[in-house]
Amino acid sequence: MRGDLLSRRRLLRGAGVSLASGSAVVLAACSDDTKLPQSALGPDESDEADVEILNGALDLELMAVAAYKAGAGRLKGELLQVAKLFLEHEQEHADALAAAIRDAGGKPNRARSSYSFPRMRSQEDVLRFAVELENTAIAAYIDALPKLGKGDLRATAAAIIANEAEHVAVLLGALGEEQVPAAFVVGRTA
Amino acid sequence: MAPRERILIADGAADTAQIAAFERDRRELIRRGIAVCGAVVAASSVPLLWSVRTAFAANSGDAEILEKAIHLEEIAVLAYEGLIASGVLSSELGRVAARFRDHEQQHAAALTTALTDLGGTPPARATAQDVDSVAEGLDDLKTSADAANFAIELETATVAAYLDAHRRLIDGKLLQTGASIMANEAQHLVVLRELARVDPVPSAFETGQG
Repeated sequence: MRGDLLSRRRLLRGAGVSLASGSAVVLAACSDDTKLPQSALGPDESDEADVEILNGALDLELMAVAAYKAGAGRLKGELLQVAKLFLEHEQEHADALAAAIRDAGGKPNRARSSYSFPRMRSQEDVLRFAVELENTAIAAYIDALPKLGKGDLRATAAAIIANEAEHVAVLLGALGEEQVPAAFVVGRTA
Repeated sequence: MAPRERILIADGAADTAQIAAFERDRRELIRRGIAVCGAVVAASSVPLLWSVRTAFAANSGDAEILEKAIHLEEIAVLAYEGLIASGVLSSELGRVAARFRDHEQQHAAALTTALTDLGGTPPARATAQDVDSVAEGLDDLKTSADAANFAIELETATVAAYLDAHRRLIDGKLLQTGASIMANEAQHLVVLRELARVDPVPSAFETGQG
C-alpha cells in the first residue's frame, strides 16, 4: 500500500498535483498570493491542464474502488455494507471525473490491471487502510482545487472532498475513535 | 413528541426568480424535515436556513465572500449555543453541540485572519439581534430529536453555501481553506445524522442538497 500510494504521489506530481500537508492548508489561507493559474491560460490550455489534474484524481478513485473490493473480503455484517456503499461512491466519483475529462476533450485513464495493497488480516486492518486511503485522496483533492480552471469543476471536487470526509468520519466511528477530530479537514500525506 | 405547528404553503404567484427559488427551497426543507427525520423544520427557522444557504450568492469578490463566511460561522456558533441552552439536548447531543460550536468558532477565527491578511476589515460580530430567526427556531424545539434535525438543516445549508463559494472564490488558498471547512461541516453532518438515526452518508457527492 505504502509503495502504491507513493507511486500515486509521483503520478499526481507529474500532473502538477502534490499531496497537501496537514495544517499548512489552513495556515496558507492567511498568506500570500496563490491565484488560479488557469486564469492566465487560454480555453484549450485550461482544458488540457484540467484533464491532467482530473486524470490524477481519477487514478486515485479507481485505486479506491479496487481497495474497497480487496478489503471487503475481511468484512462482515454492517461493516461490509458500509464498504460496499463507499465502493459505489468511489465508482460514482470515477464516473463523474471520466465524464468531465471527456467533456474537456481528454481521454480518461483506465484502472490498472492490478494494485499492490498491504496484507489486511482483520477488520481493523481494512478500516485503518481505508482511512489512510480516504485521507490521501482528500489531501490530493485539496491540493488540486486551485489548479482547476472551471468553477463547476471546483464545486464538484469540493463535493467529493466533503463526501470522502464523511467516509472518514464513519470509518473512525467504526474504529471507536473521535469521528471529527479537527475543525479543518485537510487529509494527510501517505 | 409534542404536536408541532406545520407550515401550509399555498401555491401563489412567484413573480421573481428569487421568490420562486425561496419557495422551492422552503418546500424542500420542509419535505426533507418530514421525510428524513420525522420532524418538521420549524417554520421560524426557514428564513435563517435560506439566508445561510444563499450567503454568498450576491457576492463577487473574495473579501466580500469572506465577510459573509465569517458572519455565517458566527451565526452557527450562536445557533449551537442556543441549542446547548435549550435544555432539550440529550447528553450525547450536548457534548457534540459543544464540540461543533468550538469548530465553528475556529472557522470564524481562521476566516477573520484570512480577511485581515487580504486588507479587509472583519464584519461586526453577529449578535442575537442578527439571528432572531435562530432564537425563534430554537423556541420551537421540544425534543433532542428536534434539535438534531435543526442542526442537520443548519449544517446542510452551510455546506451548500460553501459549495457555491467554490465557484466564486479566486484566491487558491482561500479555496483550500473553504474546502477544509466544508468537509468539516460534512463530518458534523455524519455525526448528527447518526444521532438522528438516518443515513449518515446519503450521497456520493455532499452538496448540501440533502
